[in-house]
Amino acid sequence: MAPPSGLYVHFPFCVSICPYCDFVVYAGKAARGPERRIERFVEALEVELRLRADVLDARWGRPGAGAGGSRPALETLYLGGGTPSLLPAASLARLIELVRARYGLDPRAEVTLEANPGPDERGHAGAIRAAGVTRLSIGAQSFHPAELRTLGRRHGPGDIAAAVHDARAAGIASISLDLLYDLPGQTLESWSRTLDAALALRPDHVSMYALTLDDPDAEGLTGPSGDHLVLRSGARRWRDAARRGQDDDRAAAMYELADERLAEAGFSWYEISNWARPGHASRHNLGYWQGRAWEAVGPGAHAFDGERRRWNAGRLDAYIAALVPADGSGAVLPAGGAEPASTGPGEAAMLALRTSAGLPLEALDRPSLAAALAWGIETHLLAPSGPRLRLTRRGRLLSNELFARLV
Amino acid sequence: MATQIPQARLRNFSIIAHIDHGKSTLADRLLELTHAIDPRQMTSQVLDSMDLEREKGITIKARAVRLEYTARDGLVYALNLIDTPGHVDFSYEVSRSLQACEGAILVVDAAQGIEAQTLANVHLALREGLTIVPVLNKIDLPSAQPEVVMDELENALAIPREEVLLVSAKDGTGVPEVLEAIVERIPAPKGDPSEPLRALVFDSHYDPYKGVVVYVRLETGTLHADARIRLMASGAEAELLELGVFRPALVPVPELRAGEVGYVATGLKNVREAQVGDTITTAADPAPSPLPGYQEAKSLVFAGIYPVSGEDYPLLRDAIEKLHLNDASFTFEPESSIALGFGFRCGFLGLLHMEIVQERLEREFSLDLIASAPSVEYEVLLLNNKGVVTVDNPAKLPPVNDIEEIREPWVRLSVVTPSAYIGALMELSTNRRGSFVDLEYLDPTRVLMRFELPLAELIVDYFDQLKTRTAGYASMDYEEIGYRAAKLVRLDVMVSGEPVDALSVIVHRDNAASLGRTLVGRLRELIPRQMFEVPIQAAIGSNVIARETVRAMRKNVLAKCYGGDISRKRKLLEKQKEGKRRMKRVGSVEIPQEAFLAMLRTDES
Repeated sequence: MAPPSGLYVHFPFCVSICPYCDFVVYAGKAARGPERRIERFVEALEVELRLRADVLDARWGRPGAGAGGSRPALETLYLGGGTPSLLPAASLARLIELVRARYGLDPRAEVTLEANPGPDERGHAGAIRAAGVTRLSIGAQSFHPAELRTLGRRHGPGDIAAAVHDARAAGIASISLDLLYDLPGQTLESWSRTLDAALALRPDHVSMYALTLDDPDAEGLTGPSGDHLVLRSGARRWRDAARRGQDDDRAAAMYELADERLAEAGFSWYEISNWARPGHASRHNLGYWQGRAWEAVGPGAHAFDGERRRWNAGRLDAYIAALVPADGSGAVLPAGGAEPASTGPGEAAMLALRTSAGLPLEALDRPSLAAALAWGIETHLLAPSGPRLRLTRRGRLLSNELFARLV
Repeated sequence: MATQIPQARLRNFSIIAHIDHGKSTLADRLLELTHAIDPRQMTSQVLDSMDLEREKGITIKARAVRLEYTARDGLVYALNLIDTPGHVDFSYEVSRSLQACEGAILVVDAAQGIEAQTLANVHLALREGLTIVPVLNKIDLPSAQPEVVMDELENALAIPREEVLLVSAKDGTGVPEVLEAIVERIPAPKGDPSEPLRALVFDSHYDPYKGVVVYVRLETGTLHADARIRLMASGAEAELLELGVFRPALVPVPELRAGEVGYVATGLKNVREAQVGDTITTAADPAPSPLPGYQEAKSLVFAGIYPVSGEDYPLLRDAIEKLHLNDASFTFEPESSIALGFGFRCGFLGLLHMEIVQERLEREFSLDLIASAPSVEYEVLLLNNKGVVTVDNPAKLPPVNDIEEIREPWVRLSVVTPSAYIGALMELSTNRRGSFVDLEYLDPTRVLMRFELPLAELIVDYFDQLKTRTAGYASMDYEEIGYRAAKLVRLDVMVSGEPVDALSVIVHRDNAASLGRTLVGRLRELIPRQMFEVPIQAAIGSNVIARETVRAMRKNVLAKCYGGDISRKRKLLEKQKEGKRRMKRVGSVEIPQEAFLAMLRTDES
C-alpha cells in the first residue's frame, strides 16, 4: 500500500457523444441547457473528494508538510472525461482548491485538463490557467474535416489551432494534442497532412492512438456496478461499419510514419502511444505505467493503492444519489468494485515495457519473465539499450505478442 | 408368454424397402394387427429404437420381432420379422438378416417406383433363395401409379403383376392380405429339432448385465434354457443366462427349436467371442460342422476421428470401445496427428456409416469430435519385389520412389433415375473418372444406369451431387468390383515448409493441381497472420504445385493503457495467451485448431 501520488477526476459530460468513445459520458440535455446536471454532479464530486480524503487521512495522515501532517502532497492531478473544459470556470477553480486543501498539491504539481477544441466546448483558456491548470490535453484527433465529421467531432481544423493559440496566449505551460489513426477509409496521405498540421502548431506533447473499437458489453463491463455504460445501438452500428474500413498494415505504416516525423520534430517516444519534447512527458500517466498509487473520483474512475484496483460504477444517477441523497440522509461512497491487482511480475513488466524506460537487463534473470523476454529478443521485438531492455519500433507495434507471453 | 408353435407354422421374413417407402409403417401395422404391441403404447416406428434411426428415417441395426397371428385357416402362426437396414452402406447387414429368413416382403412406393437399392436387395434375397412377397405401398396417394410400378417390377425383376399386393400401410388397406400372403407363400423353415444344435448368430447387442446378447436363427436342433453353449468359430463356451424371443421386448422362453428365431444372453463380456456369423451349438452334443458364416463386414471408408479438445482422448477411447460392442462393423486403431493430436483411425462400411458412428459417439457419450477427410484403402505395389502394402491413411503412403504402382478400389454403381437426367448423370460420372456400362428402361420414364467408378470419387460428394443434379429423384447402390491401378499421387499441404499430416490426400494426378490450389487458398484464409511471412504450399513429393502466402502480421498493440484499462487489458492479454496455448504448432507457425476443423468441415460438404 502507498499513499497516492496522483489524483484522477472523471468529468462525465460532453456536448455530444462520439460513436467510438467508451468512456463514461453523458451528453445532450444532461450537459447543456436548463436541465443540465453538471452542477449537481460537481456537488457530488466534491462530496466524494472529501469522503475519499477522509479515508486517506485516517490511513496516511493529513496531507502536506506541517503540523501533524505526514501524507505527501499530490504530484499530479488529472481532470479527464468527458470534456472537463465544459466545467464553469468558477467550478474548476473551486475544485482545484478543494483538492489542494484536502489532498495537497505539490508546488511543482502537473495539473492536466482535457479539452475539446470546439468554440462551445474548449472553455476560457485564461480562466483555466488562473485556476491552476499547467497542462492542457486537446482532443484534436484529426486535421481532416471529413475525418472529423466521420468521428462525430464538433470541431474543425481551425478550432484546434485557435485552442492551441488561446492556451499559449494564456500561458499554459504544456500543450498536448491527441490524434487518432487507422480511421475508416483514412489514407497514408491524409494522415501525413494531419501530422504536418499538428506539428505546425508546435505542441509539447502528442498522443497518437490507433482507433480501437471495442465492445464493452461483450466484455461484461456494463452492468449496474460496471465501469462502462451500455453501448448505444447507433454506436454499435457505427463501429461495425468502421471496423470494415480499418487495416492493420496501413495502421502500422501510419505509426511508423508518425514516429519518424515526431522524432525529426524533436519529440521523444516515451510510451507506445505517447511522444513529448524534453520535460513534457505526462508525469500523471507515467505513474500508471510505473505502478504508482493514485486516487480517483467520478463515475467510472479507477484507482490503485498499490495493492488493489478499485473503481466507481459508471452510472451517473446512482453516483449522485449516493453522494447527495435526495432525502437529506448521509452521503455514502458510490457503488463500484475492487479486485486485487495482479500479483505476478508479468503485469508490472508489461506496463514498464510500454514505456521507453523498459526493464533493467536483470529482468532476464527472473524465471517468471525469462522465457518471454528471451523470445522477445530472439524475434527482435525487444532489444537491449544500455542497461535496459526496450521494445523496438516493430516491437511496439507487435507488443501484444510479447505481452500475451508475459501475463 | 410365447406359446410353442410347431415348425410348420413358423414363418421367418424380412422387409426390403427403400428409405421412405414405408417399411417401418408397414411393420407397425403388422405389429398392431397381431397385437404384439398394445396400441396405447404404440410409438411410431417401434422397430427403430435408436433416436438416430427415427430422426434419419432409416434402420441401422437389424431388429427382430415375433408376431403371433391367427390366420384365416384358424391356426396360430409365429411370424418372425427380421428387420433390415435400408441404406446402401448396410448391405452387409441386410445380407445377414436375409440369411435368417425364408422370405422377404418387397415394399415399393406406388408413387416413387423401384429404387436402386431395392433392386440390389431383391437380388441379394433371390441369391439366398428367398420367396419374395411384392407389396405396392402408399396406394392411397393421389400420385400413386400402381400400373406403372407393376410394369417396373415385371421388367426389372420379372415379378408377375398378379402377385403384387396393393397396400396402404398408412390407412391399413391391404395389410391383412400381407399377413395372409406371409403364411401362404413363404415356406416354413425346415431343419430337424432332434439333430445337434446349429444356430446362426445374425446380430448382437451388448448388455451390461447380460453380457453379449446374440440374436439367433436355429437351423437344426433344440436349445434349452439350461444348456451350456459353444460358439463354433471362436470356441468360447458359456452357461446360458437367458433364452427368449422378441415380442419385441425380450421375453424369456424355456426352449427354442429348429426354425425359430430368438435371443441368447451369453454372459460373455467380450463381443469378439460371440461374433455375428458364428454358429452356436451345445457343449453336450456339438454339431459336426458350423453353418456357412458371413463374409466379414469390410471397411470401405477410413477416417481419423479426433476429440476437438485433446483432453477428451481417454473419453473417446472409452466411447469407441463401448460403441464397438454394439456395432462391430467399424474398425478402429489409435493414431496421432500433428494437427489433431491423439485419435483413432476408423474404418466404416460407407460414408453414412461413418456419419452415424460419429454422431452416436457424440450424442451417446457427449463428445465433440472432428473427422479427417475420408479415404479409401489403397493397395501399393512396391518396387524391387517388396510386395504390396495397403494404405488407408494418406500420411502413411510409402515414399514415391519406392512405389511401383498404386491401385484403388472400384465399384459398380447402379443408379435409378428419371430418364430426363441421363445426360447429367453421364457427365457427373465421367467427371469423376467413371465409365458408363449400360442403361435399361424400367418403364417409359425411368431408367437403371450402371457405371464403374473409383470408390474414392464416390465418397467425396457423389451422392450429394446425384441428388442435386436429379432434383432428388435418383437413387443409387454400389458394389465393389476390385482394385485397379491409377495415376495416383499424394498431395501434401505444407505450412512454412512443414507438411500438415491431417490435410494430406491421395488424388488422381490430373486433379492434383486444382485441388492443391483450392486447399492452399482455403488454408490461407484460416491461418492467422504470424510475426513472419508464412508460405502455404501444396506439393506432390518435392514438387510444389500451388502456393499462397500469409503476410506477416504488422500490428497487434493496445493503443491505450491508462489507469482504468490495466486490469481489463491484462484480461484481454490473458485470453490471447490462452488462445496461444491451445494453438497447434506446425514448425514455428501457430495455427488455431479451429483452422484445421474448418478445413476438414468444408471438406465434408
